[in-house]
Amino acid sequence: MLSNFLSNYRSVTSLAFIVLAAVLVEFFEVRASIYPSLLPFFEWLKYSSWIGYLGITYGSVYATVQAGHLIAMAIIGGTVLVTDLRLLGVLLKDIPSESITKGTHQCFKYGLSVAIATGIFCAAGVADKVYYMPVFWIKMLALLAGSGFMFFIKQPLLNSRPHSEIGPWTLRLLAVASIFIWFTVAATGRWIGFS
Amino acid sequence: MDYVRKDVYSSVKIIFRIFILRSKGSIGVINELLLQVAQYLEAQEYSQMLVSGYYSWNWLEATHVLTLMISIGSLFIIDFRMLGWVLPDVSATAIADRLHKPMIIGFAIMFITGILLVYAKPVENVQSLWFRIKMILLVLAFINAWVFNSRMREADGTWDSALVAPKPLRTGAIISLCLWCGVVAMGRFIPYDWVDCPKVSNTALLWASGCVEQLNAL
Repeated sequence: MLSNFLSNYRSVTSLAFIVLAAVLVEFFEVRASIYPSLLPFFEWLKYSSWIGYLGITYGSVYATVQAGHLIAMAIIGGTVLVTDLRLLGVLLKDIPSESITKGTHQCFKYGLSVAIATGIFCAAGVADKVYYMPVFWIKMLALLAGSGFMFFIKQPLLNSRPHSEIGPWTLRLLAVASIFIWFTVAATGRWIGFS
Repeated sequence: MDYVRKDVYSSVKIIFRIFILRSKGSIGVINELLLQVAQYLEAQEYSQMLVSGYYSWNWLEATHVLTLMISIGSLFIIDFRMLGWVLPDVSATAIADRLHKPMIIGFAIMFITGILLVYAKPVENVQSLWFRIKMILLVLAFINAWVFNSRMREADGTWDSALVAPKPLRTGAIISLCLWCGVVAMGRFIPYDWVDCPKVSNTALLWASGCVEQLNAL
């Protein structure tokens, strides 16, 4: 029975294990002991890596990459809003939600890849500052949670069967959780600039 | 060949200088007027309140940037659909029609927060080259959107379910994507001081940025 359950809900159980592991890591203060050992990596990223060098030396390159990061965020925002507002029954009600979900996912993946690549560049330029910022770590956690949620829960569930066979409240919860997570990613990212 | 190139270069330079000197009368007056209005706005209590309040400024700027995900996000989905990059099995005009409302709501919020951001730092913005380019790109983007919408309404609709839109609409979508990427980039450049008035000595840049005091001192 357990193996049947695990095979049916493989993605959800994997994510539950990841969350449980994260809670245990926090509870046994593993994170607190790992945190200082990450500082040399952040210092290397800023002072010794070529992306750090580019970011520090050429302000115009840094600003252009920042603009690319914003554009990638706009693409993520557009795909997330269209998909989730459709699942909530607010937008595009006369178009099957399966078409919307499938038709925007590829674009979301491209947007996320560009956002991560440009985000690493932006962080490298100010790596010694962001290391000490709680809001930066909240953003990283939100990004991990968002990616995990998208690729291990939302998409597998939405692709597994016709949406009419999924409970309406499950669909609504998926949409609200998705909007909330990606808004947190964007808002914490903006707040890094103010800290 | 090099002599010719040098001659052409110096001729263009002279023509540009004459143009600047001639335009000192008209554009110079506009620049001075803009600066006076900006200085008047900056002296107002509310303007100073917006810029000095830590949370007011941050909330305004964060709202302006985050709304980009609604406005430009929706716009990109429409443009991408015209190019056949997203939602290939959904009607292109349906996407454009249904996303119009959230896009307009997003742009309205961006417009209001944008005006307040300019009101908070009017002199800095009026004399910013990036802000001026951003405004020009915004006007061009709205003209393009208007042309794009009229072309879409004029189209007979036989292409609606096709993977890609007809060439004029695809061109409009590419122009729209380029212009809005430019708007975002210029907006991102505004806080940087590379071409701020006190740092620039080039006449053309001073003229383009509207650096009245520096131009008068020349």
